Amino acid sequence: MSLRFNLILFCLLLAVLACGCDRSRENSVAIRNEGSDTMVNIAQAWAEQYNQKHEDVSVQVLGGGSGVGIASLIDGNCDMANTSRKMKPDEMKIVREKRGDEPKEFIVGYDALAIYVHKRNPLESISMEELADLYGEEGKLTKWFELGVPVGTLGTDKIIRINRQSGSGTYFYFRKAVLGKGKDMKLGSIGANGSKDAVSLVSRTPAAIGYSGMGYATDDVKILKVSRRRGEPGVAPTVANARSGAYPITRPLRIYTIGEPAGPVKEYIDWILSPEGQEIVLQLGYVPMESNE
Amino acid sequence: MAFHSNSISPPPSPLAPLPKGEGRNPFAPSALEKHKKIKETAAQWVLAAITLMLVVPVAAILGYLFVKALPVLSFSFLFDNPANRMTAGGIWAPLVGTFFLVLISLAAAAPIGILAGVYLNEYARDNWITRSINLAVMNLAGVPSIVHGLFGVGAFVLFAGMGRSLLAASCTLAVMTLPVIVTSTREALAAVPMSFREACWNMGATRWQTIRTIVLPNSISGILTGVILQVSRAAGETAPILFTGAVFFMPTPPHGWESFFPYGLDDYCMALSMHLFTLATQVRGVSDEYLYGTAVVLVGLVLVVNSASIVLRGYLRSRKKW
Repeated sequence: MSLRFNLILFCLLLAVLACGCDRSRENSVAIRNEGSDTMVNIAQAWAEQYNQKHEDVSVQVLGGGSGVGIASLIDGNCDMANTSRKMKPDEMKIVREKRGDEPKEFIVGYDALAIYVHKRNPLESISMEELADLYGEEGKLTKWFELGVPVGTLGTDKIIRINRQSGSGTYFYFRKAVLGKGKDMKLGSIGANGSKDAVSLVSRTPAAIGYSGMGYATDDVKILKVSRRRGEPGVAPTVANARSGAYPITRPLRIYTIGEPAGPVKEYIDWILSPEGQEIVLQLGYVPMESNE
Repeated sequence: MAFHSNSISPPPSPLAPLPKGEGRNPFAPSALEKHKKIKETAAQWVLAAITLMLVVPVAAILGYLFVKALPVLSFSFLFDNPANRMTAGGIWAPLVGTFFLVLISLAAAAPIGILAGVYLNEYARDNWITRSINLAVMNLAGVPSIVHGLFGVGAFVLFAGMGRSLLAASCTLAVMTLPVIVTSTREALAAVPMSFREACWNMGATRWQTIRTIVLPNSISGILTGVILQVSRAAGETAPILFTGAVFFMPTPPHGWESFFPYGLDDYCMALSMHLFTLATQVRGVSDEYLYGTAVVLVGLVLVVNSASIVLRGYLRSRKKW
């Protein structure tokens, strides 16, 4: 008897909870926003800010990498894919085949990819050629003294290259920007899982070098100035330098939708491109669109 | 071990006259007995020390987490939503998410697991089909959780058309917890003496009557323990929900009764384990206390649930009739 009573009570409880789950979302709109780890923090900040003004719109944010976002967009699991790289032609083809519509691209800001070293590393600047020599397949740089670091400090140490996981848009962009098209990375680097992870690995490893969005800087790492060629003066990754194109590793941050967005998704993207949305881009250490000024 | 006869003093025969030492005690331990005693004490202490080593890591982990988390632990940490770009506020939204994930997964897995366990133990004949089912259940229990996660993506998210959602994530967790529930149910049923069933059958009861009135009431403690232990497993896993429904961030109602039901069945949801993972690898500028605080709540939750299952088992066992 008592067992039966308990069972009925339990079922009732479940029913109430299920109703609660169902009813809570009656009048609200969910926008699913997935993709780039670089953009996950901006996306989260946008979602949080936007929800304060539009309580009925719930923007749900997930990271995982640009490739994950695009795959999810194709499968219909998300409404907006954040990417830190351009959609590849074959991905566009799959979108057209599977969804019957063109992917639509929005550029929502820029990211300057900063080169990070440990804060005690005396190096101040590095050139794109040296980076290619360091990360590239045929690169010969292995020790810090080859970059001009005094032997007394770090010079004789091997350079520990921090890389990103291969689903990362940052990884693809860095490979293309630094090594050029079709070249591959040298094996033996350490793969970091996420932009923040890359910086925190560098902060804990004196002989390390790594790359990540400039917004991820902390007090424990140093950002190198970057020049295009050996011997030229380096340029610091700042908003002004990124916009003017003086800083060589700058890339657009994009949002993709399937077809022309409509309704809440369109309103949300419009808001992201508005001064209020772009202010958040700046606050998080990325470079807002020019039209903002 | 070699037996050295010369190292033993022969026991004094009760009939033989007492040895003529000055007041020598005939019951004094012999050399062999002393030797045995030393070995016995040594064995006891070594085994005790090794057992203690099991407790040390648990205590150290808990202590370390708690001390590190102390600055943020408060009621508002539990009951507030993450705020200010997830660097402030609390963990209410992920906590509720974990609660619903566990609840729905158990609502799916417990009935199926228990009923299957009852069939396997009470009805199924010992033939090759039953044996292969047993083998399948045991293998399912050994599958790594990330593989369960991938299975969930294929089966629930894509094939069943649930999309990434609370429901898909719960179903994935249910599949992960199912085999252990089946196994523990079977073990609990097998512990009920066969004579109980035979007595019941001899009264003319059917198999189902026997199960309902005799077998289940006598094995409920073991079954419930098995189920509750899966709560902590479901609450702690990240891999199965990573691709099936857990989300980095979503706005949730901050207060009122709606804050208790922030997620629809077809929504994404936040979860504690995922929250901890994203705080550690993706969120910028979050202080370490928040990480440790989240970890403490997650570990605390698991500890509370496990202790509850031990208490419940003790209570139900005390009502056993044999």
